[in-house]
Amino acid sequence: MLKRKMLRDIRNNISQYITIFLMVLIGIFAYTGIKAYMLGMDKSAKIYYEENNLQDMDLYGEFDDDDIEEISKMKHVENVSGKISLPSLASHKDNKLSIYYINNNDVSKFYVIDGKKFDIDEKGLWLDSYYADLNNIKVGDKITINYEGYEFKKKVVGLIDVPDLVYYVKDDSEVFPAHKSYGFVYMSVNALDKEIFTKLSGKELDDYEKYIRYSSLLIDLDSKDNRKTFKEKIIELDNVNACFNSEDLLSYDSYQREMDEGKTYVGVFSGLFIFIALLSVVTTMTRVVRKDRTIIGTLKALGYSDIRIAIHYLSYGVFLSIIAAVIGIVLGYFLMGNFFVKMEMEYYVVPNPKAYIDSSTYLVAILVILGVVIATLLSTYKVLIKNAAETLRVERPNVKTTKVNIIERKLFKHLSFSSRWNIRDILRSKARTIMGLVGIVGCMILLVAATGMNDTMKNYLNLEFNIINNYEYKLNLSNYGEDALKELKDKYGDNTSKSQLIEFKYNDDIISNNIFVNDSNSSYRIVDSNDKEIKLKDDGIYITRKLADKYNLKVGDTIEWRILGTNKYYISPIIGLSKDPQNQNIVMTKEYYESLDLEYIPDSLYTNKKVNVGKHIDGVGSIQSIDDISKGINNMLSTMMAMIFLIIFIAILLGTVIIYNMGILSFTEKNYQFATLKVLGFSDKKISKIFIEQNLWVAILAIVIGLPLGYYTLSYIFYAALGDAYDFEAYISLLSYVLSAIGTFVMTMLVSIYLTRKIKKIDMVTSLKGNE
Amino acid sequence: MSELIKFKDVTKTYEVGEKKFKALDKCSFTINKGEFVVILGPSGAGKSTLLNLLGGMDTVTSGKITVNDSIISEYNNKELTRYRAENVGFIFQFYNILPSLTVYENVELVKDIVKKPKNAKTVLKEVGLGEHLNKFPNQLSGGEQQRVAIARAIAKDPDIILADEPTGALDSKTGVEILKLLKKQCDSNNGNNTVIIVTHNTLIADIADRVIRLKNGKVESSTVNRKPKSIDEVKW
Ligand SMILES: Nc1ncnc2c1ncn2[C@@H]1O[C@H](COP(=O)(O)OP(=O)(O)O)[C@@H](O)[C@H]1O
Ligand SMILES: [Mg+2]
Repeated sequence: MLKRKMLRDIRNNISQYITIFLMVLIGIFAYTGIKAYMLGMDKSAKIYYEENNLQDMDLYGEFDDDDIEEISKMKHVENVSGKISLPSLASHKDNKLSIYYINNNDVSKFYVIDGKKFDIDEKGLWLDSYYADLNNIKVGDKITINYEGYEFKKKVVGLIDVPDLVYYVKDDSEVFPAHKSYGFVYMSVNALDKEIFTKLSGKELDDYEKYIRYSSLLIDLDSKDNRKTFKEKIIELDNVNACFNSEDLLSYDSYQREMDEGKTYVGVFSGLFIFIALLSVVTTMTRVVRKDRTIIGTLKALGYSDIRIAIHYLSYGVFLSIIAAVIGIVLGYFLMGNFFVKMEMEYYVVPNPKAYIDSSTYLVAILVILGVVIATLLSTYKVLIKNAAETLRVERPNVKTTKVNIIERKLFKHLSFSSRWNIRDILRSKARTIMGLVGIVGCMILLVAATGMNDTMKNYLNLEFNIINNYEYKLNLSNYGEDALKELKDKYGDNTSKSQLIEFKYNDDIISNNIFVNDSNSSYRIVDSNDKEIKLKDDGIYITRKLADKYNLKVGDTIEWRILGTNKYYISPIIGLSKDPQNQNIVMTKEYYESLDLEYIPDSLYTNKKVNVGKHIDGVGSIQSIDDISKGINNMLSTMMAMIFLIIFIAILLGTVIIYNMGILSFTEKNYQFATLKVLGFSDKKISKIFIEQNLWVAILAIVIGLPLGYYTLSYIFYAALGDAYDFEAYISLLSYVLSAIGTFVMTMLVSIYLTRKIKKIDMVTSLKGNE
Repeated sequence: MSELIKFKDVTKTYEVGEKKFKALDKCSFTINKGEFVVILGPSGAGKSTLLNLLGGMDTVTSGKITVNDSIISEYNNKELTRYRAENVGFIFQFYNILPSLTVYENVELVKDIVKKPKNAKTVLKEVGLGEHLNKFPNQLSGGEQQRVAIARAIAKDPDIILADEPTGALDSKTGVEILKLLKKQCDSNNGNNTVIIVTHNTLIADIADRVIRLKNGKVESSTVNRKPKSIDEVKW
């Protein structure tokens, strides 16, 4: 019978239960959604890597068939696949393609979307499925490719995805993949034309097939654990220049970072959501139980045991939160999880991507329900421990004489009536005040963090595009002779740079990093931690401050380093710390580089002159315009903006519910007092003022607490979400602080004013009689 | 007739702030099985306190309450709950029926707590609510609501019915109807049911088998009415 009571009570007070329901739903929806999305990214990729046999290691160098044969026979090695990557990009229409030739497809196997599997005797080509799709290319079509002036036409025999190209961009400095204008092509090494060989080696040979060398080998080991042993042996071979684990691949690493970033959202935001959701359940259930006080007394008098009464009140929240949790999980998983995974897959290429759900999601749902149980039990307990007679008696505010010392008392006298009233009331119902305070603080944190995220990104864009990158086009140089370089410099200016992979000693370890030799004449600026340009000096190196932090380095220390693949160490003094949002590396001038007897061969040239991006230029592998780069980043930021709006929306929703709940709760408690005031002749307006004033104080206090906490939350997000490679400073503009504060404030006021309508409705007679 | 209830030096003290206040002060009296008892006294005399103690809803500060040879003043919480469920039917001044349950459901409710309750429909017909089974409390008049409360108490089939000012919120005509119902309940079951009514209406005393007068927390008198009037004889 009590079950029927519960269902009817819920129906009759639907709005207040809808808030519980929604809060739990939103909390669990957010958590499940983000979690299912992260897990989906992780698992989909893992399955892909596993099934298509992603390489365990990459060897770089120059290898012939005999080398492959020899390495295949080494211990732990299961498969070896040779790969030739053409050093510059080929053109197809106005687009760019990376071209690879392979001798087998046992490692990093194609995921064939359409067409045939890899076949060594096939003369056609396998094309990037995303590129093909966006450019409307089908299996059987013939496409014309231009590689450094050599044009050839080939049939597309298959559309594929490749596990070591989950993420790929034209150039390292391009963050955002553009699948329509850049793709990849695989061919059998037997389809490598003589002309291509000539471009690769500079030699014209009729029996060129014999002289084909692979630029990298993809190694599949029996177990990842044996990589170290293998590495130690392989490094002894002369023709191995470098050796990387698959985790170091740009593709693997970028994807991983994207996931790490998401994991922090899961933690911080859904944690806050769920916390606030629980808080609103507590307030609502306290209110319900309080309102049902006489009914509880009656049930007790009838002979219901305390346990059964407790279970009855538990059933309200638990019943609703179970339904909410189930719906939250289902919607979060199917809608949000899959939506975000699909969204990511516009940029990342993982076949069959889908959201996944794991036991932690169920656990969180169970914990939330358990939280509801405990919250309800606590509020029921307070009523239940009293005996039946007391429960049934009219609830009078138990006026505790709060001990205020004399100085305070003097102060007290000078305060207005409403201030005195409110101080007493706050002191008397600390729990409720704290609950409301925490709720509004939580809402404030969400608002500050969300708006601050926007500021931080804008700040970053400003640093990147108005300060650091100071050019219109970046030409990535490749395979050029002296003459070509001179011609380029004459035409586009002598602003160049060179990136060089290095290793440096740190305690007993050798750390891989890179140096950036800057001879760009401020086309690419190096900045300090205040975003001011550093005028580079020629007597040492600069390292980014994040790198310095990580390895405990400071100005005045020296670094012992060598160029990757060589054995000669250089000792360089650190003469300054720089800051770079995206690369944590070492910077030096061309003059210092050359003073070490190293030859400066630039790999990039910066210019502000107009460059025709579509046209092939001798000695230039690819061209990037600053517009493309910023467009890419802006694109990525727009997904982030969507996230920010979602968070702000939920924050406002949660905040409103919390404040509404707190208001309703204080109303139930104060009904009697307000009625008394009314009888004494206070006008509704005056009572409303008292009520609003109290909420105002709480809101202001919450805002003051919330502002710094919002900043710390944001700092934590950027610190934890972005890995070692990034150096983003949480930045919140004054405007954002002000807007968040005003938003919270206005919301509190609106809800309070809305609630004061109830004061007019207080019926003095029944309120004072106390029996409803 | 056998002794059913015995109060011996029952005291109930409330603490208000620092001060102690005796709501009941060494109250002693007995009530026999089957009696229709009226407890009289001015407001604040301690009537409700006394009834609450007897109904197992509150605990004594000192003294002893015996019901059916069991000392209920020594019961623990669990025993008190069972006592309330099985032995007592309580009727309140403000009815205290559950607003979200229908008339029928409010009575059917006792199925949850008593093993062998009376048929809810039959009881409701007895109190004259046969036509209103599916109405909700807010669709009933005060008298009808009190009947629901009485039906609920009767449906439990308890030995003792306790009513705290059951007519206090009703007009006198309706009040009489309610008293008749309570008297009828007392007379049923071969006169084995005991009904105790708290009131400050002295007229009701005339129909009682026993009248207990309270004043300032003390029992002034406990008298047996040799010749109780029938309800219709009393001029209300
Ligand atoms: N919980 C309580 N705390 C303090 N005083 C109480 C409490 N309950 C009752 N009293 C006081 O005890 C006295 C008797 O109350 P009650 O039994 O309700 O009187 P009545 O005879 O009107 O039913 C009253 O003066 C009342 O104020
Ligand atoms: Mg009373």
